[in-house]
Amino acid sequence: MKTKESYHRVSPTWCKGCGLFGVFDALKRAAAALDIEPEDLVIVTGIGCHGRLNNYFRAYGFHGLHGRAIPVATGIKLVNPRLQVVAVSGDGDAYSIGLGHFLHALRKNVGLTYLVVDNRIFALTEGQASPTTEFGMVTLSTPFGSKDFPIDGPSLALAAGGTFIARGFSGEVAHLASLIERGMKHNGFALINILSPCVTHNKVNSYDWYKKHIFHVEDVPGYSPKDKARAWEALNSPEKIAVGLIYEGDKPSFEELVLTDRERPIASLNLKVDAPRLGKIMDRFR
Amino acid sequence: MIRDLAVMIAGKAGDGVLFTGNVLAKLLKRHGWEIVTSRDFPSNIRGESTCYTVRASLDKVYGLSDQLDILLAFDCESILAHLPEIAANGIVFCDGQGWTAPPPEQTQGKMFHRFSLRALAREQFGQEIFKNVIALGALSYVLDLDPALLDGIISEMFLRRKGEEVVRKNVRAARFGYEKAKEIIAESERRPLAKKADADRILISGDEAIGLGALAAGCRYFAAYPICPASEIWQWLVHYLPDFGGAVVQTEDELASLNMALGASFAGARAMTSTSGPGASLMMEAFSLAGMAEIPVVIAHVQRLGPATGMPTKSQQGDVLQWIFGSHGEFPRIVLAPGTVGECFELTVGAFNLADKYQCPVIILTELDMGQNFRTTRALDFSGIRIDRGKLLNPEDLLGMAEFKRYELAADGISPRSLPSWKNGVHLAESLEHDEKGYRDEDPLNRRRMMEKRMRKLDQASPDLCPPQVWGCQKAEVGFIGFGSTLGAILEAIEQLRVKSVPSRFLQLRTLWPFPAAEVRQFLAESRDVFVVEHNFSGELATLIKSQVSPCAELKNILNYSTLPFTPKEIVGPVLRSRR
Repeated sequence: MKTKESYHRVSPTWCKGCGLFGVFDALKRAAAALDIEPEDLVIVTGIGCHGRLNNYFRAYGFHGLHGRAIPVATGIKLVNPRLQVVAVSGDGDAYSIGLGHFLHALRKNVGLTYLVVDNRIFALTEGQASPTTEFGMVTLSTPFGSKDFPIDGPSLALAAGGTFIARGFSGEVAHLASLIERGMKHNGFALINILSPCVTHNKVNSYDWYKKHIFHVEDVPGYSPKDKARAWEALNSPEKIAVGLIYEGDKPSFEELVLTDRERPIASLNLKVDAPRLGKIMDRFR
Repeated sequence: MIRDLAVMIAGKAGDGVLFTGNVLAKLLKRHGWEIVTSRDFPSNIRGESTCYTVRASLDKVYGLSDQLDILLAFDCESILAHLPEIAANGIVFCDGQGWTAPPPEQTQGKMFHRFSLRALAREQFGQEIFKNVIALGALSYVLDLDPALLDGIISEMFLRRKGEEVVRKNVRAARFGYEKAKEIIAESERRPLAKKADADRILISGDEAIGLGALAAGCRYFAAYPICPASEIWQWLVHYLPDFGGAVVQTEDELASLNMALGASFAGARAMTSTSGPGASLMMEAFSLAGMAEIPVVIAHVQRLGPATGMPTKSQQGDVLQWIFGSHGEFPRIVLAPGTVGECFELTVGAFNLADKYQCPVIILTELDMGQNFRTTRALDFSGIRIDRGKLLNPEDLLGMAEFKRYELAADGISPRSLPSWKNGVHLAESLEHDEKGYRDEDPLNRRRMMEKRMRKLDQASPDLCPPQVWGCQKAEVGFIGFGSTLGAILEAIEQLRVKSVPSRFLQLRTLWPFPAAEVRQFLAESRDVFVVEHNFSGELATLIKSQVSPCAELKNILNYSTLPFTPKEIVGPVLRSRR
């Protein structure tokens, strides 16, 4: 059996109290709970404070470009669907520069676990407004208050045909780990949007603020993640932010639809040149 | 007997010009002729003028000629538009509908046959669409082609998709056209073709040849976004890759295409994408990532006319320097430029080996003229293909290694690779500057070493790179330098100059980067007048030569930035003028 330590490479150096510590811990717990070999786990990250995760986590990793974690992760998953592919992004990565990829991965239902570490600020670049920054908030780029209305990732995901839409809180590691674990087991694209305080650049959305503003859908009597209308209602609750597994649907995964034989991954195909077969194909040009 | 022929089919988009041209090209090929086709079509589905030229010759040809021998026009406007291109003794077939006589000074010596193609098609076969096959039948009579071969091609085209009844009806229409032509056209007005056996050859487009090359080379992951004129690579591969266990994915944009191909390659696939114009600009971001993370990938870029959206259905060579010097930061890349459809295949096969061996992006740079048009080439040889995955380890070797370093500072700059799921091979593919294991490292000394490691990868690559090819006379004062599909017009120009007692040679560059400086330097030293022939405005290749060969002889540019590829006379003219 794996333990959290199986995935520990080095200790992180994020700011003391950063929500990413909780994410790091939850991800290790989820992987251990599913007994995933570190070699069978690939963590693909974007650019932002979350991108350091690869340096601390023991698993195959791909730290690519800002906003492009999803297409890289999709390529990996299709070439070897036996791998557990986890893509990690920040709110800028997922909902600003990479928004197109996010919606299309939902539409395609690619078998990725997608963690969006949402701290409502561009932290690595010292604190500019992000697409989830609250209206009116003063940041480095919005000294007179943000004039942009924030967008909500899980709501977008629901509209785009997402089949696993969850929201966690990095202050509740055990709960978050269980969401990630379920997301990893989900057939298709699993979004886990993570409310994650930035202790340095976002003094508004702190641990205490979130604790006051969240509610768990599990605690709502009669709530079922299979009910899309209820999910929509939960996501649009006034004043309060819904956390937990908000929606779970059923749709074939992209790799199921695209790959002819998932037991024979592209990664392990024999590329030997079959000259007679290719010759027959060429004959159509005669 | 006719040994060389240029036929144009012209009409409105939606008239079936493409179909008619494709059938004619195949028909002439089956009579043993060498073929080059050229389409000029609008970026529009219906209503605007379009034309399709089939250049055919009993001897090997690579490009178009300056004149048309036969024009098959489905509308009157096409006749007026193309009359000046028709040879003095040329033949014009036209639909009688809406006929207005062209000015007599333009028609002198040219033979006009007015066929009521549409009306005949309607009367005899119930639908106007049969006019195309009727016309092909009539052309077969004029050129003395074998009607059975035409029947065979019609059957190949329709049987699977439309069934026997459609084949029968079309065959009847073709025969009808043949007989009708017999009634109208005098024996003396025919142009019987010389014939030879259809030896071991194929008729293929550059895009299809790239697709076939990719398939043969073991490409098993293809991601792309629709764009003219590169989509045919994908539309061809999509029929075959799944059967070979691979995947073809349509992405949301070209940013995703290249990133996805990089993910696929990282996980172990031979991966590829294709694009053109604006798509290539979007790929510039991930191009740099491939360089930094040292991930093999092949990018086929079929150039079209720019800038911006430009003219999506017109050919151009204006994106050369973008791939050689483009994207942020400095990293090694290889840029290949096939000049024939055979080279489209061979260089694509080679591209995958180069990408794996040097762990860098490899670009196959062609143009619309090469990509979408059809040319004959000798049958492709698959038996000699060798798959070389370079320093990709295998799981057993990896287990035996004391310490695996993905970005090891190897003497040749090329480090071993492992794939996800392999034990003892855990590493990070990192877009930040990194240490030998792939983890972020901002140490100045490490940065210097890593930069040098990457940049020295191609130092010893030249034996693996396709060298330039010299065409034409062995000794000549006039030298041409070019790449890609201008080859056809340059070779025609060399022949025309030879007839005028001006011997000339052509240095065809097939690898644009790393730049073959030694060969170019030697060619420059051996030539008195050098003309760099390019289908662009600013002479990108000439700029490249000047930057890589120093001191550099004077280079004259022959440039064409119009919507149409070079004709031979556009090359011959400037050479002759410069010698006066």
